[in-house]
Amino acid sequence: MRTTTRLAAAVAVLALTATACSTKGSSADGAVGKDGVKTGPGVTDSTITMAALTDLTGPYASLGKSIVNAQQLWVDQTNATGGICGRKLRIVVKDHGYDVQKAVTAFTEVEPDAALLTQVIGSPVVAAIKQDLNGKHLLALPMAWASTMLGQPYIQVVGSTYDVDMITGVDFLTRKAGLVAGDRIGHVYFEGEYGENALAGSKSAATKGGLTLVEQKIKPTDQDLTAQVSALREAGVKAVLISAGPKQTAALVGAAAGQGLAVPVLSSAPGFAPQLLDTAVGAALERQLYVVSAISPVSAEVSAMRQLVQDYQAKYPGAPVDSGVASGWSAAQVAAEALSAACAAKDLTREGIAAAHRKTTALNILGVPMNFSDVAKAPTRQAYILKPAKGVTGGLATVEGAHEVKG
Amino acid sequence: MTKFAETVLNGLALGSVYALIALGFVVIFKASGVMNFAHGSILLLGGWTVTATHQAVGFPLAVLCGALAAGAAAGLLHALAARGLRGAEAPVLTILTIGVDLLLVTALNARIGPDFLSTGDPWGDAVARFGGVAVTQSRLAGIVVSVLLIGGVFALFRWSRWGLSMRAAAADQEAAALMGIRLHRVRLAAWCLAGALAAVAAVFLAAFPAPGLDRTTGQIALAAFPAAILGGMDSAVGALAGSLVIGLSSALAAGYQEQLSGLGTGLADVAPYLVMVLVLLVRPNGLFGSKELSRV
Repeated sequence: MRTTTRLAAAVAVLALTATACSTKGSSADGAVGKDGVKTGPGVTDSTITMAALTDLTGPYASLGKSIVNAQQLWVDQTNATGGICGRKLRIVVKDHGYDVQKAVTAFTEVEPDAALLTQVIGSPVVAAIKQDLNGKHLLALPMAWASTMLGQPYIQVVGSTYDVDMITGVDFLTRKAGLVAGDRIGHVYFEGEYGENALAGSKSAATKGGLTLVEQKIKPTDQDLTAQVSALREAGVKAVLISAGPKQTAALVGAAAGQGLAVPVLSSAPGFAPQLLDTAVGAALERQLYVVSAISPVSAEVSAMRQLVQDYQAKYPGAPVDSGVASGWSAAQVAAEALSAACAAKDLTREGIAAAHRKTTALNILGVPMNFSDVAKAPTRQAYILKPAKGVTGGLATVEGAHEVKG
Repeated sequence: MTKFAETVLNGLALGSVYALIALGFVVIFKASGVMNFAHGSILLLGGWTVTATHQAVGFPLAVLCGALAAGAAAGLLHALAARGLRGAEAPVLTILTIGVDLLLVTALNARIGPDFLSTGDPWGDAVARFGGVAVTQSRLAGIVVSVLLIGGVFALFRWSRWGLSMRAAAADQEAAALMGIRLHRVRLAAWCLAGALAAVAAVFLAAFPAPGLDRTTGQIALAAFPAAILGGMDSAVGALAGSLVIGLSSALAAGYQEQLSGLGTGLADVAPYLVMVLVLLVRPNGLFGSKELSRV
């Protein structure tokens, strides 16, 4: 008898907890606001709530902080001029420290009350919540550029993908180092989506140019690349590509300088951090390294960028102005455009926002034109070639402006 | 041939830095039977202290400060554990070190942030050349300093009273205690020594061609684990031999990745563990580990 009572009590507690959990969503899908605009989750008559899954304590903490700051700057500026669709904007920021489990928990927490995700840091995190994003029709803007994210109706890469960047990079190196058919180039890359997507690009470009690719796979925990550099030098490479983290880029260029491998090294955008310029490897980086980036450098001579840097520095004095500022701001511009277009169509439901976003065919973000109409394609194939330079804002100066290489 | 010489030299340099870390593992294990999982964060603390003090006191004194700080932290960890968990078994203390590691790493990460910190070492990006073989001076310095320090520790083991007490304690704690050896002091000294060695290792891990000390520098301690186990957890000579084997095998596997591609890419990462498993299959107590004898 007592067992039954206990069981009943336990079931009751469980049921109550479950009910408490399920009453979280604030506005029902399909409701119509006072202004005749259909509203969905995260949208009320006065506010549009968005969410961000970021990394403020893990390996990409500095990038995450810049992205959060840049997007908050956008929110503040937009709210100061009346918001979007007569509603104030709000971003709920959740830190996952690059831990997929934590990210999934954070997603479950913020998802019921989010109109869209203004940033998701980490390819593994995006992969973990992909099904949910598509199932719940929630548009997300990942801070990752792997081509595996294309073809997903509710995931929008903002910029060109790693593979396309590498095609642009190999084209640049071919001209810079005077590569001819038969020459060898190295590619040091991280295991996983980022590195392997970049490798796909370099392979394709190498095949097209008749070059032989020497591959070196590494892990994010690798700190010493001397042996890899010895191998590349022995193989007689005339240029090296690297798609890894800033620490590995520095370790590679440092080792190359140490061993007298004076060839140009080209890194994918996530492989550079301005902090590297103040280290013992700084001088070697300025000599040998180039960076290919889909997002405009913060030092770009574009009026929108100059304005952004000025506003950012005014709002966050002393904070480093790095590539995170530009990529965070770029994603915010995509969100702004989607929300404004959805408002014009009087449909701020998640489906309405995603549909409006897909109708955006010519959005100029910080000097790069983007077209979001084709789910299967990146919004642009253009990328910049940059060079580390101490004293320049963001530590990168432009060598070649945004351009497209057919690949 | 140049490549082979360079790869071997690099493997040796890496191995000698691993040896400083692995020796710390072994000294602590010998003295108190604890696997110190907080070794990585203590290494980071030592390195960070060097980066924080070198501008004020100069590099040599900063290294001393780092060694003192890391030694004190390790000693404190032992003292707290020994006092707070009096009578606790070694496995409990081992788990405790995991907790302390998390705390220390979090605290240090908050200070280091995304930066790459310089230790102010005198070698900078200078390179030494022997014929066609190029190797950075910091690497050479790493080998020399490691050899000196490890030699010193061996001498300490062999000829000092502390070394004798330590060996006695490792052989039979009860008998050692009955012979008047103060186990607590012996252990405290072992932990402090291990911490100090880790701080020196941090300096060479952060030196060129690495960009400097960053939040992940301490993770390298994990690579020294297989070295310590491979050599035999209770053997200092084993730690040295194990470290050189691990350093060489990972450098060779990375340097000859292309030729070894039939075995799949990324062999360099698993090579240390592969060697460890192979050795343990043949010698379950490691290369120089003492066999456990039990009377039935």
